[in-house]
Amino acid sequence: MIEIDNAVKRYGSVTALDGVSLSVPRGALAGLVGTNGAGKTTLFRLLVGHERPDEGTVRVAGRDPVASTAVRRAVGYLPEHAEFAPAMTGREVVRFHARQRDVARAHRRERVDDVLRTVGLGEAASRRVGGYSNGMNRRLGLATLLVGAPDVLLLDEPTASLDPEGVETFHRLVERVHERTNVTVLVTSHVLSEVERLCDRVAVLDEGRLVDAGPVDELGGDEAVVRFIPGPDVTPDDVTAFVGDRPDVRLARATGDRYALAVPESATFDRLAALQEGLEIERFEVDRTGLREAFDRLVGDGDAEDEGVAGDGGVVDV
Amino acid sequence: MSESRPDGGTETRHVRIDAARPAREQLRSVVDFAVREYRLAIRSNWASGLALLFAALSVGVVLFGRSSIGAESVRAVVLSVAELSVYLVPLAALAFGYGAIVEPRQRGSLDLLLALPVPRWVVAVGIYLGRAAALASALVVGFGAGGLALFRFGGGAGWGTYLALVAAAVAAGSAFLAVGLVVSTLAREKSHALGGVLLAWVWFVLIFDLLALGAVVGFDLPTAALVALLCANPATLFRLLVLSVAGSVSGGFGAVLASVPLDTASLAAALLAWIVVPVAVSAALLGRR
Repeated sequence: MIEIDNAVKRYGSVTALDGVSLSVPRGALAGLVGTNGAGKTTLFRLLVGHERPDEGTVRVAGRDPVASTAVRRAVGYLPEHAEFAPAMTGREVVRFHARQRDVARAHRRERVDDVLRTVGLGEAASRRVGGYSNGMNRRLGLATLLVGAPDVLLLDEPTASLDPEGVETFHRLVERVHERTNVTVLVTSHVLSEVERLCDRVAVLDEGRLVDAGPVDELGGDEAVVRFIPGPDVTPDDVTAFVGDRPDVRLARATGDRYALAVPESATFDRLAALQEGLEIERFEVDRTGLREAFDRLVGDGDAEDEGVAGDGGVVDV
Repeated sequence: MSESRPDGGTETRHVRIDAARPAREQLRSVVDFAVREYRLAIRSNWASGLALLFAALSVGVVLFGRSSIGAESVRAVVLSVAELSVYLVPLAALAFGYGAIVEPRQRGSLDLLLALPVPRWVVAVGIYLGRAAALASALVVGFGAGGLALFRFGGGAGWGTYLALVAAAVAAGSAFLAVGLVVSTLAREKSHALGGVLLAWVWFVLIFDLLALGAVVGFDLPTAALVALLCANPATLFRLLVLSVAGSVSGGFGAVLASVPLDTASLAAALLAWIVVPVAVSAALLGRR
C-alpha cells in the first residue's frame, strides 16, 4: 500500500531524509518512531504529496502522490496540529470534507452522521468547534478522514497534548476503525509505549535514516531485559563493572537507582544468577526487550548505523 | 471495493484514483471553499464590523454635508466619501486578507485542506473568492447606508455617481484583498503577514503617489510611462475610476490623474489585473509548497 524507495529529502544543507526505503502492506497498523527531527513528519509530507523527494520514489496505492491529485482520495492525513475554524460546527466541518472527498450526495448526510457518531461526536455535532476540547478536536480530525473511507490513514502525533483519558479514547477508536475497515494506518509518536500498545509493526527513524523496522515484538531481537533496583551499597561503578565483564550484557538504561540490562534471551537465567551473585539486588523483573530498550539501542547510543537491521539499499517491510 | 464502514456496517465504494477531477467538479470545489470562507467571515464579525465602519463613514459625510445638499453638493459629498475610501478601503481589505492563508497554516488546518483531493489552486482561489464576497457585502451594506442617507436628503441627485463609487470601492477592495492574499501566502507567521500588509498600505496609499508625483514633475514622462506608473498602483486606479465617473478628484496627484488618457473600461481592466495576477501568484505559491 505504501512503497518508499531510497527517498532523500533535503532542506538547504539539512538532510531530513537520507535514503529511506520502507514498505507498508495493506491493512497494517504501523508506527513510525524517532526523536525530534528524525524525519517523521517529512516522510508523511512526502506520502501526502505536500513535498517531492529530491531522490528516490514514493508510491501510495501505486501512485505518485505529488503527480496525482486523485490519489489523495485514498489517503487521509491528520497533521500534528490541526485545529479547525472555531466558528464552524463539527457537522459542517465533516460535511465539507465529505463533499471534497466525493461522498455521493445521496448518502452524504447519513455518512457524515455515521462518522460523527463513530468518533463520539454525535451529540456535539451541532456545536461550534471553538468549544471543543483537544480530544474532541482530534476525533473531529479523524472524522474528516474517515468520511471519505480512505485506504490509508496517516496520523502525525495524533495524541500529542491529549490527557490520558483522551489518549485512551483515541487509541480505542483507531483500533476499532482498523479492525472494522482494515484500513492501512501509519502513526507517528514520541511516546513509545503508545506505539507499542497500538501498533503491530514499527519503523524507527534516526536523523533521517531508517534504522530498523518490523513487527513490534521482534524489534528487540533475541534479547531479554532485566530491570532491577540494587541495594543501597551498590554504586553505579559496580553496575558498570559488572556489565563490562560480560560482553553479551548491555546496560540498556540507567535512571536514578533503577537499571535495565539487555541480555541474550537464551542465557537470561544464567545472567540473572550472576547478577544476584555479583551485586546486592533489592528488586528485579525480567521481560522481553520492549520497544523502549530497542529504541535506546538503535537510537540512543548513537551506534544505530552499526546495529541497524536496515542496511543501505533494500526495501524494509514494516 | 467492498469494505466495512467505521460504524460496523458495510458499503460499496469505488476509489477513482486514476480519474482526474473533471473541471466541473473543480469549479464546485472552488464554490465550496468560497462558501465556507464567506460563512466564516460573516460569523467572525469581520464583515459586519467593516459594514458598520463604512456605514458610519458614509452616513457621517452625508450628514455633515446635508445643509447644502443639491446636485452639485451631492457630487462633492460623493467625492469626500471617495477620498476617505482611498485610505480606508485598502486598509480594510489588506487587514481582511492578511490572515487568509497564514491563519489556517498556523492552526495546522491548511495541511489538512491541501491533503484533500483537489488541486491546490482551488484552495487559494476559493478562499479568495469567499473573502472577496464578504468584503463586497460589507462595502455594499456600509456604503448602502450612506446611499440611503443621500437619498433621504438629496433625492435622486448623484445616485449614479454614488453607485459608481461603490462599484469602484468593491473593485479596489478586491484588488487589495488579493495583495493581502499574496502576503498571507508568503508569510510564515501572522505577525509577519500583518507587518507585510501594513507596509503594503503605506507604500500604495501614502508613498507611491508622492514618488509618482515627483517623477512626473522631475522628468518629462511619455504618456505610456505615465499610464504604466498609474496602473502600478490599485489605489491610484481607484482614484482614476472615481474621477472618470465624477469628473473631478482632489489630492496632490489630481491634476496628473485628470490628464491620463484612460477610459473607465481600461481602468476597470487594470484593476481586474490587480485581482487576477496576485491570486494566480498566490495559487502558484501554494502549489509549490
